Amino acid sequence: MHQIALTAHQLVKRYGGVVALADGSLEVRSGEVVALVGANGSGKSTLGKIITGAVAPDGGQLILDGRAVHFPSPQAARRAGIAAVYQDLSLVPDLTVAENIWLAHEPIGWGWRVRRGAMREATARLLDLFAGTVRSTLTPETPVAALPPDERQIVEILKALSLNPRLMILDEATASLDSNQVARLFELVARWKAEGMAVIFVSHRMEEIFRLADRAVVLRSGQTVGTRDLRTTSEQELVALMIEGGLAVESRSAAGATRGAERLRVAGLRAGAVRGVDLSLHDGEIVGLGGLRGQGQTDLLLALFGALPFTGEVRLAGQPVRFTHPSQAMEAGIAFVPGDRTREGLLPIRSILENLLLPSWHRYGALLRLTQARRDAQAMAQRLNLVMESLDAPVSSLSGGNAQKVVLGKWLLREPRLLLLDDPTKGVDVGAKREFYQSLEELRDAGVAILLYSSDDEELLGLCDRVLVLRDGQVRAELAGPTLTRAELVSASIGALMGETS
Amino acid sequence: MKRPKLNPVVIALLLAVLLFALGGILRPGFASHAQAMNILRLAALLGVIAAGQTLVIISGGEGIDLSVGAVITLSATLTYRLVNGDNGMVLPALGLTLLVGLLIGVINGLGITLLRIPPLVMTLGMTGVVQGLVLVVTQGQMQGAVAPIMARLVARPLALGIPGVVLIWVVLGVAMWLVLQRTAYGKRLFAIGVNRTTARLSGVRVPRVVVATYGLSGMLAALGGFVLLGYTQIVFLNLGAPYTLPSIAAVVIGGTLLSGGQGGYAGTMAGALVLTLLTSLLTALQMPESARQIVYGGTLLVLLSVYGRQRALRQ
Repeated sequence: MHQIALTAHQLVKRYGGVVALADGSLEVRSGEVVALVGANGSGKSTLGKIITGAVAPDGGQLILDGRAVHFPSPQAARRAGIAAVYQDLSLVPDLTVAENIWLAHEPIGWGWRVRRGAMREATARLLDLFAGTVRSTLTPETPVAALPPDERQIVEILKALSLNPRLMILDEATASLDSNQVARLFELVARWKAEGMAVIFVSHRMEEIFRLADRAVVLRSGQTVGTRDLRTTSEQELVALMIEGGLAVESRSAAGATRGAERLRVAGLRAGAVRGVDLSLHDGEIVGLGGLRGQGQTDLLLALFGALPFTGEVRLAGQPVRFTHPSQAMEAGIAFVPGDRTREGLLPIRSILENLLLPSWHRYGALLRLTQARRDAQAMAQRLNLVMESLDAPVSSLSGGNAQKVVLGKWLLREPRLLLLDDPTKGVDVGAKREFYQSLEELRDAGVAILLYSSDDEELLGLCDRVLVLRDGQVRAELAGPTLTRAELVSASIGALMGETS
Repeated sequence: MKRPKLNPVVIALLLAVLLFALGGILRPGFASHAQAMNILRLAALLGVIAAGQTLVIISGGEGIDLSVGAVITLSATLTYRLVNGDNGMVLPALGLTLLVGLLIGVINGLGITLLRIPPLVMTLGMTGVVQGLVLVVTQGQMQGAVAPIMARLVARPLALGIPGVVLIWVVLGVAMWLVLQRTAYGKRLFAIGVNRTTARLSGVRVPRVVVATYGLSGMLAALGGFVLLGYTQIVFLNLGAPYTLPSIAAVVIGGTLLSGGQGGYAGTMAGALVLTLLTSLLTALQMPESARQIVYGGTLLVLLSVYGRQRALRQ
């Protein structure tokens, strides 16, 4: 006899015109582990955030122990016994492990004094849970800044546990743990489960899902499309459920027939999260980088642009190169459209003119020929169909799509031979996306080599001649022609068997 | 170009006119030609000194140069000693002090970029070092003399009754405008002031620009010391220190964002005028020193909070 702990019923969340969650439903009972699965952008994290009170839903109901509840804040959800562990860590680096774990719910004694002794003992008890899988330097007094990522993740897990939750959400909590630590975590989850805790497990790793979870709730395009008992379900069946329309085949109609000479060859590249990538890219070709977020795609692009130190071999048009600063890559004809427009691509308070010309000023003489510079910027604005008040208006006055055109435009003014793009259409509206794709296709037809990372599978399928799927910093699959399908893309991303047997 | 209704440069200029008129009403004689020229001359001194500070503050990254006062003293002391009353030594002495100022600024820049020392700490530490250097140069005795040509250039009317220092200021103003608006360096300076990541990913070598900027600031402070010496005719250990904070205040009153990335030298020029007028007015009113300090500080606070509010409204 299981007691129902929580039911999410048809939850809806909209961000502006974008529907992040259209019908998010799930049930979780105490003593049960439910896996939440779905492709990129399927609404998993939104659903998780509504349950923890971090995001307020626009519709639908949360029912806790038979009563409709509404969490105005994460604190309210915490009081109801719901705690979450996230991958993007929420620890304060300058505080110790104990201070982080008990932050905002410190054991309080007489006169509002924090009982430091009690706090330390409780922390030591929590740390004992992972004893043997962590270094001996992980103590209650260790500052979090001194910890490696895996131990920080463990502190994060213990922080959630310190709240004595009835429901724990583990959102990609295993991504930075090693196999011993994952095994220990799974033992602990089994123990908590037996003690009556309910667990929601969000993960991309199929193997872990089948090891840990009892049931899987599958989300697709913001909708709960099914719940499966994992004892009687195969991996393929689950993947098929994650992919719209089952295993329908689609691929680019006109493959790059005008493929030119080899522009870029990379062998054994390692940098940041990239752990040994080989690839080849030709003029007049768009190659996509696929896979789940954070599998090394961004670091690969940064390394090629000279913005991240790397080891391995990079050849540009046959010549070995080793860039240590973006300016060298730029001189070699490389351009990079970064993923975070505001923080990496633009100078928000400066004018559109200055933003467009920032990489090109050196071409206008010692005493800048501003008239000519303005003419060039104007021509680029027209070519990109930039909707703006004037070239002197600050970039911050533009919409997301138009701002992204400025980021592209500033590179096109340099006429690059190799264009690197890091998830360029994130937060861009549909109309501007279409124009953006058109620009890329024109560039490809003009013989530019393009390497594009996108978190949007549609984009990779619709735009690329080939897609390299990255997982854990390595290329795990190369999809082209008949194998460039959504099914192959998703299964290669999550490492399901299907993609690798073909 | 659609701008917020109140441009800080315009505000500062209006304020300067207002203070001048107020002085004329309260103290007949305040608005006389001679007094106006004197105020202009003092404003020019501050303006020259604040030029480098403008560049440093635009460069962002909590950019500030607290070493200007010490560099002024060092430059004045060096010049005083080298020139020693000889007109022929003026140019070589100027060249050498500019070089020394540049070197000090470059060291500031290297400390900030290579050692990642916060600008406030780096330039404050440099202040101590430079003060020590002053003692090395003087050996405890202020020996030397100002060359006649320097006094004539700075203190006396050069042409049309306008002091030479004001003409120097105008030339510097034009040069600063050209540097900020019409050179690649200027464009990159604004870029690193707004966002260093964007700048780097657009090919700007951020550390080079930072080092160049602090170098320029040191050099312009040395020029300030040279000009100031022509005005004061003597040197003393505390010659430059009282100019450090006003140089920052003039920049900020002129509308340059303390966070960097926006502003210009025209604003700083107006700011220098406002500060000089305010000091002169308070002096003319024969307020006690304590009241003068309080009014001066209070006015700064009011001005800065007005600008801060405007910025908040814009966002």
